[in-house]
Amino acid sequence: MANSNVALRAYRDGLHLIIRPHLSITEVEEAIQEEISRMNQPLGGASVQIDLKGPTLKPEEMAYLKSKLQETYNLKVRGIDTVDEQVPPPIAAAPTTHTLPQRTVPQQPRDTDPSRIIPYTIRSGQIEDFPQGSLVIYGDVNSGGEVRAGGDIVVLGALRGNAHAGLNNRPSAVIIAMELVPVQLQIGSFINRGPMNQKPRGYPEIARVGVEDVIIIEKFVKF
Amino acid sequence: MGKVIVVTSGKGGVGKTTSTANLGTALALLGKTVVVVDADVGLRNLDIVMGLESRIVYTSMDVIEKQCELSKALVKDRRVDGLTLLAASQKNNKDDIQPEQMKTICDKLRSEHDFVLIDSPAGIERGFSNASAGADEAIVVTTPDVSAIRDADRIIGLLQHAGIEPINLVLNRFSPELVGNGSMMDQEDVLDILNIDLIGIVPEDTGVITSTNRGIPLVYEDASPGSQAYMRIARRLTGQRIPIPDLEQKGLLTNIVNWFRNR
Ligand SMILES: Nc1ncnc2c1ncn2[C@@H]1O[C@H](COP(=O)(O)OP(=O)(O)O)[C@@H](O)[C@H]1O
Ligand SMILES: [Mg+2]
Repeated sequence: MANSNVALRAYRDGLHLIIRPHLSITEVEEAIQEEISRMNQPLGGASVQIDLKGPTLKPEEMAYLKSKLQETYNLKVRGIDTVDEQVPPPIAAAPTTHTLPQRTVPQQPRDTDPSRIIPYTIRSGQIEDFPQGSLVIYGDVNSGGEVRAGGDIVVLGALRGNAHAGLNNRPSAVIIAMELVPVQLQIGSFINRGPMNQKPRGYPEIARVGVEDVIIIEKFVKF
Repeated sequence: MGKVIVVTSGKGGVGKTTSTANLGTALALLGKTVVVVDADVGLRNLDIVMGLESRIVYTSMDVIEKQCELSKALVKDRRVDGLTLLAASQKNNKDDIQPEQMKTICDKLRSEHDFVLIDSPAGIERGFSNASAGADEAIVVTTPDVSAIRDADRIIGLLQHAGIEPINLVLNRFSPELVGNGSMMDQEDVLDILNIDLIGIVPEDTGVITSTNRGIPLVYEDASPGSQAYMRIARRLTGQRIPIPDLEQKGLLTNIVNWFRNR
């Protein structure tokens, strides 16, 4: 990963900007710039929680950072927290899930639409379209392939292509894959371009629309 | 009764023609009767790679238009017994031939040869449907890069839809060194995506270029790594069980050996 000084993460309560201790303000600025360009996704208007992993910027530097985030990136700082850890891990390398609650999906009832099982891999150029309900793929969705569902999409393999869940403007839909490395995800009317050259993480992940109206991706634990 | 195998890829320039020429020659060297068919109407070059361009009188188009008998259109390769070429017309284009006409030709050739190898043009349109119309099996050629792999994936979907089976993969222009330093996908990554059986890995081999220019398929040259790879694939096509040597391991070992040498 590009740098480990600053990490921008989407948690269920919104965006977090995690900053390692003992950095200069210029280092923080540069790292933020890099991290935001890496996100590859418009953030304008979102609010962000700053998590400090130890002693770092002076109060006046903090104030400067807040105004800078607002002006340059249109990001509103909604709070600043110091998260003390004995050994600060290199943030980019560490999975972000340790701060997540066990249950990753909101406890609202899932819709009980019909679902369709696709017992094969969706290859490049193939489209599986099921506006009536949810799709379950027993295979992969390869780059150049596309799955579209009115409800949820569950890929029991690698999702490397495009997926659009919640077709009829239903932002409560989710996309789950054993390996989530898509070209592009869409849930309802929200779009998330996959990060470039992402390596599989080795655990299932879930994508859904979070409180800031951005698609967030987390480790999938259970419904 | 032989087998009709279409050699295809989706993307151009990945080694379909090279593979058709070398596998055809290799199978003949193993004693099989083989015809290699150029299905790239309008852009033929299998005849050049085989070094037979000066001997072509009739093409598949002439056979379809009943200008000559199929047997008369087959150009005999004089370097090895049992190998012939059916050339494509250079004057026509791909829409001048119907898939059913290609199928009729393939059916005839199948009854008289052990192997019929069809060199498919790039793309997924008529040229591809013509090339695969009479095929029993397929060999998909890809190089280890994302765009070739995506196109191979597309082609595999179309072949599966057409009920062509088995579909085997040739991974061409593989470079253990590039895999070793992380700048090329390794075979596991490729197979993970394409999910078909690997029939062989052909390394990047500068000998391919010189052999193409001379019109002498690489497999006549025993020592070249590309030649050995094609000979192994040909043996596998005849049903022999030959393990796929781990080129990556060899690459790693070469790297280590070179590292010690350079100290
Ligand atoms: N294993 C290889 N090593 C080096 N060059 C290769 C190899 N395979 C193919 N080539 C070169 O790549 C080019 C395209 O090959 P070709 O067989 O004509 O591809 P296609 O028929 O798929 O368009 C040719 O110039 C050929 O010499
Ligand atoms: Mg060719």
